[in-house]
Amino acid sequence: MDAWSENIQKHLWFCNSCGNEVCTTIWSSYHPLLMDEMKEIAGCKFFSLTETPEDYTIIVDEEGFKELPESEHLSVAEATWLALNVVSGGGSATNSQPIGVTKIAKSVIAPLADHNISVFMLSTYQTDFILVRERDLPMVMHTLSSEFTLLRVINGETVAANSLGVTNGFVKPKLVPRPIIHPLSSPSNMFCVTSLDPDTLPSVATLLMDVMFYSGGMKEPGASSEDSGHIRFFSFSLIEGYISLVMDEQTTPRFPNNVLFTSASGELWKMVRIGGQPLGFDECGIVAQISEPLATADIPAYYISTFKFDHALVPEENIQSVIGALRTNESAGQ
Amino acid sequence: MSGSKPDILWSPHHADRYVICDSELGLYRIGPVGCSETKAGALPLSVETAATLLAINSDTPYMKCVAWYPKHEPECLLAVGQANGRVVLTSLGQSHNSKCKELMGKEFVPKHARQCNTLAWNPVDSNWLAAGLDKHRADFSVLIWDISSKFSPEASVAAEKIRLSSGDTDSGLVVTKPLYELGQNDACLSLCWLPRDQKLLLAGMHRNLAIFDLRNTSQKTFVNTKAIQGVTVDPHFPDRVASFFEGQVAIWDLRKFEKPVLTLTEQPKPLTKVAWCPTRMGLLATLTRDSNIIRLYDMQHTPTPIGDETEPTIIERSVQPSNSLIGSFAWHPTSQNRMVVVSAANRVMTDFTVFERISLAWSSTTSLMWACGRHLYECAEGVGGEGTVEKDIATKMRQRAQSRYGHDTVQVWKNHLLAGGDDPQLKSLWYTLFFMKQYTEDVEQKQQGSKQALVYSGIKNIVKSSSGTTENRRCWSGSDRQTDVPRFHSEERSLALRLCGWINRGPDINVEPFLRSLEGEGEWERAAAVALFNLDIRRAIQILNKGASAERGDLNLNVVAMALSGYTDEKSSLWREMCSSLRLQLKNPYLCVMFAFLTSEPGTYDGVLYESSVAVTDRVAFACMFLNDSQLPRYMEKLTSEMKEVGNLEGILLTGLTKDGVDLMESYVDRTGDVQTASFCMLKGSPGEVVKDPRVQCWIENYRNLLDAWRFWHKRAEFDIHRSKLDPSSKPLAQVFVSCNFCGKSISYSCSAMPHQGRGFSQYGVSGSPTKSKVTSCPGCRKPLPRCALCLMNMGTPVSNCPGTGHGTGKSDEKVDLTRENKLAQFNNWFTWCHNCRHGGHAGHILSWFRDHTECPVSACTCKCMQLDTTGNLVPSDSH
Repeated sequence: MDAWSENIQKHLWFCNSCGNEVCTTIWSSYHPLLMDEMKEIAGCKFFSLTETPEDYTIIVDEEGFKELPESEHLSVAEATWLALNVVSGGGSATNSQPIGVTKIAKSVIAPLADHNISVFMLSTYQTDFILVRERDLPMVMHTLSSEFTLLRVINGETVAANSLGVTNGFVKPKLVPRPIIHPLSSPSNMFCVTSLDPDTLPSVATLLMDVMFYSGGMKEPGASSEDSGHIRFFSFSLIEGYISLVMDEQTTPRFPNNVLFTSASGELWKMVRIGGQPLGFDECGIVAQISEPLATADIPAYYISTFKFDHALVPEENIQSVIGALRTNESAGQ
Repeated sequence: MSGSKPDILWSPHHADRYVICDSELGLYRIGPVGCSETKAGALPLSVETAATLLAINSDTPYMKCVAWYPKHEPECLLAVGQANGRVVLTSLGQSHNSKCKELMGKEFVPKHARQCNTLAWNPVDSNWLAAGLDKHRADFSVLIWDISSKFSPEASVAAEKIRLSSGDTDSGLVVTKPLYELGQNDACLSLCWLPRDQKLLLAGMHRNLAIFDLRNTSQKTFVNTKAIQGVTVDPHFPDRVASFFEGQVAIWDLRKFEKPVLTLTEQPKPLTKVAWCPTRMGLLATLTRDSNIIRLYDMQHTPTPIGDETEPTIIERSVQPSNSLIGSFAWHPTSQNRMVVVSAANRVMTDFTVFERISLAWSSTTSLMWACGRHLYECAEGVGGEGTVEKDIATKMRQRAQSRYGHDTVQVWKNHLLAGGDDPQLKSLWYTLFFMKQYTEDVEQKQQGSKQALVYSGIKNIVKSSSGTTENRRCWSGSDRQTDVPRFHSEERSLALRLCGWINRGPDINVEPFLRSLEGEGEWERAAAVALFNLDIRRAIQILNKGASAERGDLNLNVVAMALSGYTDEKSSLWREMCSSLRLQLKNPYLCVMFAFLTSEPGTYDGVLYESSVAVTDRVAFACMFLNDSQLPRYMEKLTSEMKEVGNLEGILLTGLTKDGVDLMESYVDRTGDVQTASFCMLKGSPGEVVKDPRVQCWIENYRNLLDAWRFWHKRAEFDIHRSKLDPSSKPLAQVFVSCNFCGKSISYSCSAMPHQGRGFSQYGVSGSPTKSKVTSCPGCRKPLPRCALCLMNMGTPVSNCPGTGHGTGKSDEKVDLTRENKLAQFNNWFTWCHNCRHGGHAGHILSWFRDHTECPVSACTCKCMQLDTTGNLVPSDSH
């Protein structure tokens, strides 16, 4: 196996806010800092904000969590989470197309699901993060140590994580087919997964705020025509200096030319939303249910979990086959 | 760069051109100030150089990094890495030749846009351009582009999907297919090609340094580290690489790539640039953010590879090219230690040369040697010596050592002549010591032991013990006028006058011999003053007349004599009034004090006593005659402390060779460094505690070391002999004994028991004539002594064919007569042996053997005995 799992020694907090009001305050409190120093927000090296029609989901590390204001609008998921990140260690120049979640579906996500470990996914422009609960860490390490070199990042220094030596009591569960349990929906939006030069962040900060908090509702001209399938979705993350954005294709013209990073092929993505009612944090296997069929079909995917629902992004040209594949699994489960 | 952070690149082939890149590219030419080429509009870079802006290129926005094409042609081709990951070829100030034109504006576009962090041209295959990009979840971060590749048809298939950059493809200048793609799902922060092989690429990746081998792209060597920025290969050591992270620089040896061979001291601010000096080995320059200094690390003497156990020697220092904050710097490719620095703001440039540390060494003689850069300078004392500049004390001491300074123990005063005879302080010192010695010898004759101890304790102590002083008022000689000048007498005061050299032994105070000797030396003024102080005004006038009429005499002395003859003791006379005011205009201090004496009130002779140009001896003698018992010790005390303060050797007269004397000598040595005089002088102080004073021991040891350093080994030996005579405790015990192989008894011990039969082996025991002694067997057990490896005779046999043996002895026993021949003859008979192979023989034989051979004379022994002797090949420089 030519990949190792990198374990970012960061405690992450999930926050969820139902109202615009709270998030605006949060954002405002960050905004001046953003202007100052774009690489780190007051020592916060992990910051992610995702807007869904239901709420805003914020994932921050401990430093960032301290900065969040107290509010009754803010609900915080119990337990702290650790971010795992799979980096490729080998030099094999495989030009395999499947990227992101698909690539690690079988090696990481499925084994974790088999061991009943609840995971939370956050894909970015640069990489994929798998978040696991801190208390599950021994189990995670035990599960992954067979196939990965585990490294721990402590204060930026990468060291080999010693096996915790707790192997007794971890029983390898039986492998069962994983039917899709939760209802799926696919909004009509086309999404862009993009990034931008951190140096240009100050110049677009107000625009970002506007897009996230003040362009709400369905008042956008493009959205009015197909109300039924169109949803609001916007994700911004700033993790270790790298910015990642997921936005509606219709939003991109609002950014100045040459600010957003684009791919040479100009690929666009469509979304599959998972869950009819809030998924919670304890259920495991949801990511695996989605990613395994995609991996089998060799379809690249992004996966963004939020406080209530999960979101998978797949290339627009593959959306029909994806829905097809997932429906098969869905029906198999019923 | 993005407007704020500029960078500099030197042209790889034109040593006078460089490019500054900030928001745009500016090509500059550097030249001397006032040169015809650098005309108006030239920007001064230093006192001597100025830069002219040749061209500006602002075609490429969002520049993140720039790299200069390494080959001669096309001359000024630059690759610019942009914020969106595209690499654009551009040029500056080019005449549009065809090859260049074709490449201009060519773009290399990665599949997924993200920042381009670094660019590196392959130095051998210059079509290859490596670009390091930020991380993307699915893309590669190291792309190697072939700049000669055309827009490939296979890429046009993908072009259907290109929506955002469709305009570019039309021109045919966009390349989307890299030659190599490396580092999937990773970020690349820095790149450099390794000189070991043209297909080896060193990359600073997200959390590791990786060496990609393009001959087999599935292979890579990597090491996990934080120090992944700014990888750069030492141009003088292809295996040495520097990289950095935040404020810390790591130095790597590619042969031991597991961990950095060394890490440099961490800086509080993050580093922005690290560069090896191309013209000087092992010199690394580093720059941190918001700093106006460049920190240099000299690893020239750091061994490569660095062993684990040794602490590497790195010399760290800082240079400040200008007062403003530094944006970036670049070493000049050929000019030694030179760099151009550009300020963080306003593009202010400075041409700056880092001066090499100067290492400096004094030789044991006076020359001074220093090394700076590639130059070695020697500064020697002028041999011609116009006499204007005083010679260095080391030169003086050397010359004095050669003239046997200090060794005249009989006519002690002559030592000042051996010292050159031109130093009044030394003259006074040695005369004082001479008088002291003379007096003790007299006293010994008189069997008055009590005074002996006193005489070396100085006049200050002598007059303290003074008792029974008588006061008398004497007439002026040759005049019956009664003076009211009281003069004081006592035994101690007479002794003091003797030590001052004014009078000879005997009860009378008769200065006539002293006056004669002064006249003989032409010291007319001094003689006249001494005569006057002895109240002999006629004699004084007579001396002055004599002085005026002498050869090259000063006629003014007659005028002084005239003035003197008008002396009157009338208190309010015009003569007195005039003399007391006009005397100060007299240049000669003795003439001045004569009138001071005559115009003073009795008992208040400050004009004489504190005239510092008058010799201390004369002032002391004067004080002993005219100051009463209460004034005299006060004056002595005052004068002594004054002498001690300035380290004036004349003060030894007052302090004697006491602890006070050592204090005085200490300040003299501090002032002059003359440990030679100090050593010889203080040795005379024996027997006494002074020799045991640690300061005195220190001077003696330093003087001996100096003699050794000058290779004046014979002088040092002489000094040791001299010293052991005066200070028997300094005689070292015998340290080496030769013992018999059979009975184990010391041969020399037996020898000393039978003084006429053997030779001593102690340091000074070169006793007995070799012709007389013939001990070939152990005196203890009668077994034969070892044989000489060359003549095969037993030890103890004199060297047979030594021409010098038995000659040149028997004459002139007045000194230690050791002529070179004589000494050599004795030395030839010594038995010597190698400490390594234990073979040996007669010293003379062994020496002549090793003149032509390197190996031991014993057959089958390959010991290179002589080479093991580090001092064996040195020749004493004082041999005569």
